[in-house]
Amino acid sequence: MKLTSKPLGILILVIMFGSILFTTAMNWWRTESTKVPVKFSEGEVAGEYNPADIRGSYKMSDIEKSFRIPVADLKTAFAIPDDVDAASYQVKNLEEKYAPLAAEGKEVGTTSVRYFVALYRSLPFTVSGDIWMPDTAVAVLKQKAKLTSDQIAYLDSHTVRLNSSPAVTPAVPVSTPQPKTTPSANETHTAPDRTMSGKTTFKEILDWGVPKDTIQEIIGGEIPSTAMTVRDYCTQKSLDFNTIKTALQAEVDKTK
Amino acid sequence: MKLPKIRIGKLWMRTALQIFFFVFIALVAINHTLAESGGAIPFLSSASLHALCPFGGVVSIYQYATIGTFTQKIHESSFILMIVGFLLAVLFGPVFCGWVCPLGSIQEWIGKIGIKIFKRRRYNHFIPIKIDRILRYARYLVLAWVLYMTAITGKLIFSDYDPYFALFNFWTSEVSIIGLAILGITLGASLFVERPWCKYACPYGAVLGLTNLFRIFRIRRNASTCKLDGACNKICPMNIDVMGSKIVRDHQCISCLKCTSENVCPVAGTVDFVAGGK
Repeated sequence: MKLTSKPLGILILVIMFGSILFTTAMNWWRTESTKVPVKFSEGEVAGEYNPADIRGSYKMSDIEKSFRIPVADLKTAFAIPDDVDAASYQVKNLEEKYAPLAAEGKEVGTTSVRYFVALYRSLPFTVSGDIWMPDTAVAVLKQKAKLTSDQIAYLDSHTVRLNSSPAVTPAVPVSTPQPKTTPSANETHTAPDRTMSGKTTFKEILDWGVPKDTIQEIIGGEIPSTAMTVRDYCTQKSLDFNTIKTALQAEVDKTK
Repeated sequence: MKLPKIRIGKLWMRTALQIFFFVFIALVAINHTLAESGGAIPFLSSASLHALCPFGGVVSIYQYATIGTFTQKIHESSFILMIVGFLLAVLFGPVFCGWVCPLGSIQEWIGKIGIKIFKRRRYNHFIPIKIDRILRYARYLVLAWVLYMTAITGKLIFSDYDPYFALFNFWTSEVSIIGLAILGITLGASLFVERPWCKYACPYGAVLGLTNLFRIFRIRRNASTCKLDGACNKICPMNIDVMGSKIVRDHQCISCLKCTSENVCPVAGTVDFVAGGK
C-alpha cells in the first residue's frame, strides 16, 4: 500500500484533531489542573470545600465558585488593580504584587487567601506561623464575616497597610502594630529558593540539607518518592499542609 | 555526474501543515499570555505550551507510574498527545518531527537561507561525517538526562533548556536565559546545518526515532528502477543514505517524503512511502 503526501497530511490532521475531539467528548482532555479543592470529610463542615487546599493557580472566579465569595469582595480585599480582570486573576500573582512585603517577612500570598476564605466562610483552618493580611482584606472580613474576638485580635496584629494606589504601586507596609507572637522561623525569607511552598518536593528539602529521618518524623511516615511534592503527600494522607510546611521550614532554616 | 534540478512545491500539503501548526501554536501561546491578564481571544485555546507538548507526557511516565501524579505543569492533554504522537510514529514514523513540530519547521525555513548562501552541495555538509555520526547519538544522552532529572525532582527540568518553549514564550518571564541562548544557537546553526536541534539534541525526536526500526509505513527504494543519481541523498535534511538502503530504517528519518518519487526522485515508483513488502 502506497501513501503520498496529500493523504498522509490529511491522516495526520484527522488523527491529531480527532483524538483531541474524542478525548474532549470523553472529558479526558484537560490542559490545566482541576480548580476544585478537596472537601472536609468529617465534622460539622463535612462536604464543604477546604480552603487549605486553595492553590496558587486558582483564579478568583474559582474561589467564588467553590466558596461562594463574590469576586468583587476578593478584588477589594486583595486590592486587585482595576485594569486587570479580577475574575481571572490568579492567587499566585499576589506573591509578585506584594513581593516587597515578603522581603520584610510579611508575605501576603496564597496562605493569606486561604485564611481570608476560611474566616469569610467560617470554615476551620489551622493557623501555623504568621499569616499577614492587607488592611483592605481585614476591612472586608470585619464587615462581612462572623469573627471571634480572638480572630479580630489576630487580624489586628497581622495587618499590613497598603498605599493608596496599590494598583500601580507595589504595596509596601507602613508602621503596623508589632505581632504579639514570637517571630517564628517562617517570618524570615532570606533565601527564597529555600522557602517551602506548595511546589516544594521532598528532593528539594533533602538537597537543602534536612536529613531524611527528620523529614519522615515530621510527615509521620516514609517518603513515597523524592519527586513528590509535600503538598501532594499531605493531600494524599489527609494531613494539614500548613502544619507540616511550618515544621519542615523550621528544619530547613536550621540548615542555613 | 550532473545532479538533477530539485523541484519544489510538490509537497505543498506538508508545507501547509507546517505553517498551520506553527501559526496555531504561536496563537495559543500568545492567547495564554493574554488570558493571564484577562484578555484572552475567544474560541481559541489559551492552554500553556506545556499542556500541548507531547514530550511532557513522556517525562511524566515515571512519576505517573510510581506516584500517580503528573510532573508539575503537565496535564492529561500532554499524555493524550504523547499517545497520539506514538500512534502516528508507529504508523508513519516520526511525522510529528517532519510535519508538525514548529521548532523543526522554523529550523527548516532558516535552512532555506543557508541553502541560498552556501548552495546545496556545501550546505548541511559542514560537519565531518565521522564526528557527525557520533553526534547523532547525543540526543539519546539528552533524553536519558531529562528522564532521570525529571524522575528524581518531579519538576519539568527541561523547560529551562527547551528551545521550543523559548521560541513561543520569549516575551514572558518564564523563559530562562539558557533556553533563549540554546534557541539562538539552534536558529543560528540552522544556517549551516539542516535541523541541528533535531539531529543532535532533541530528546523527543530520539524517542520517536526509535519507531523507524518497526514502523508500518516506510520509505522503500526499488533498486531495479533506481538510477543511482543521488537525488534522494542530496535532498535528505537528515543526511540519510537513502540511495544505499532498500528500506530506510535510520533512527533519524522524519518521514518528510522529500526523497520520494513524489518529490525529488525522477523515476516514478522508485522511492515510495509504503506499507508491507520487504
